[in-house]
Amino acid sequence: MKFSLLVSQLLNGLATGMLYALMGIGLSIITGVLNIPNFAHGALFALGAYLLYSVIQLVGNFWLALLLAPLGVGLLGILIELGGIRPLYKAGHDYQLLLTFGLSLIVTEGIIIVWSPVGMSQLPPPLLRGGVDLGITFYPKYRLFVMVAAALLVLGAWLFLEKTRYGAIMRAGIEDKEMVTLLGIDVHRLFTAAFALGCVLAGVAGALTAPIRGLNPLMGVDMLGIAFVVVALAGLGNLLGSIVAGVLVGVAQSLVALYWPEASVAVIFAVMAAVLLVRPQGLFGIR
Amino acid sequence: MSGLKEARIWLTILAAVVLLPVFVRHAIATEIWIFAIFGLGLNLLLGYTGLLSFGQATFFGSAGYVAGYLLKHYGVGVPLVLAVGIAVGALTAAVVGYLCVQRADLYFIMLTFALNQMFYFTAYQWTSVTGGEDGMPGIPRPDVLGLDIHGPLAYYALVAVLFLVALWVMKRIVESPLGKILQSIRENAPRAEALGYDVARMKLAAFVIGGAFSGLAGVLYAMLFGIVPLEAIGFVFSGNVVFATLIGGSGSLYGPVIGAFVFIWLSESVSAMWARWPLLLGVAFVIVVLFFRGGVVEAWARFWAWRAARRALTAMGADVSR
Repeated sequence: MKFSLLVSQLLNGLATGMLYALMGIGLSIITGVLNIPNFAHGALFALGAYLLYSVIQLVGNFWLALLLAPLGVGLLGILIELGGIRPLYKAGHDYQLLLTFGLSLIVTEGIIIVWSPVGMSQLPPPLLRGGVDLGITFYPKYRLFVMVAAALLVLGAWLFLEKTRYGAIMRAGIEDKEMVTLLGIDVHRLFTAAFALGCVLAGVAGALTAPIRGLNPLMGVDMLGIAFVVVALAGLGNLLGSIVAGVLVGVAQSLVALYWPEASVAVIFAVMAAVLLVRPQGLFGIR
Repeated sequence: MSGLKEARIWLTILAAVVLLPVFVRHAIATEIWIFAIFGLGLNLLLGYTGLLSFGQATFFGSAGYVAGYLLKHYGVGVPLVLAVGIAVGALTAAVVGYLCVQRADLYFIMLTFALNQMFYFTAYQWTSVTGGEDGMPGIPRPDVLGLDIHGPLAYYALVAVLFLVALWVMKRIVESPLGKILQSIRENAPRAEALGYDVARMKLAAFVIGGAFSGLAGVLYAMLFGIVPLEAIGFVFSGNVVFATLIGGSGSLYGPVIGAFVFIWLSESVSAMWARWPLLLGVAFVIVVLFFRGGVVEAWARFWAWRAARRALTAMGADVSR
């Protein structure tokens, strides 16, 4: 095994790990604030990728597409929250699960009908094609960009949650919903905002993924399980934990892909199982 | 539940078992009772213990693969294969359950799904054994104790009998002390803990029993179609059994049976018509959840309550025409 290959796989793991972290953070905001199991999170990730593809087809600009696709997913998120989830606030998790699972089937099948049942590919923007020489290894520019972009987005999410008033309200919503209501905050608006924010993060993760892995209708389902892994390991609303968990499974996956490519997906869940065996409460001690 | 009402329910079920193959294609009728067994196992968790497992296909599929492999390559007899399938279901459930029951609520749901994905991707990649995406075909259906079960009706009879046994066993379980403890956990877990019950271990026990039922269903499914498709271990299957149980009504022992009937009958009718039928399934999920929560059993009870109220009003001379 050449050292340069190992380094580039480590970097790959870092890049996908940051995308996993983004998914985990979005899901964790939704799950934490609304207290629902969101099985549509993966499908919304896939929708982000497909919207990016279509906006590029329409206007030919990657950057505009990278902006519009997540916003489109966020808009759909607002509709889902208002029309579907709001009537179910008081229903049990079973019904909330069934709703989001149903929506995930609808979005996935919708993608197959609107776009294509077979996979498609998406080139990175011209500026980010090709690679750069890092000294040890030659590495694709686009993946470096994804690493930086995902890191900036996580930083942005952190700044938003920790340093702004809205972020404080959202964190309070994760901790204690009753208290938030008592303080006179419109909890319904908070729920809609949190759901939309989570959807935007899923959409942006999907859009960023498209030029790396291409598009296929089942990409969302695959990502859903990974987002669950990140949340289960990190705990709800724990940004730092999400990054650690995301990078952990991302790197584990990339390294296993070198030696035993067939196991590279299953290993994500095996890592989770191993961590939970040692620490049932997750990496950072939540219930 | 009073003895008379109980007897009436069992008579209805017996009648359904006898009459179903007259009206419905034998394969579908068989699938209905298989799915009912699957649903019974889930409902011990969902309805009685208050644990929402979104990973039941893990046990269903694992048992199907192991049983299929034994039938295909080793010519093992049906009674042994059924026992092995039940054991595999229970064992995989013990492993998955051990990791999941320590976490509550939403974490629990997500963990059952994530571990389901682990088993799915393992089956997907382990093509030499499972056949991967193509499934594991060519599973034989050998004689049972000298009885030929090749014919669809003979196999239906076997499955129907096993379903009745499974239903009876589940009834005994939920009425047993364990069943009562599980229900107390559903109602108030901290209190059950305070009363001295080891809640995590009780949940695990429910999980293992549910897994055993899923395992039995998985083996019967493999022998019904002669193939274990990859979907049998996939999350959509896990979702389907949750959906079927909820439309039947998770509040009663018999809810999953009704749910299996409605779900399999409808999905088999619709899926034959349109390849994109999961879209309709998704729409059905959303509609049921938004407008028909409580399931068929509750809707039925509501209907009778409404009729009784109407009758009482009419008897008092009120105008109920509007």
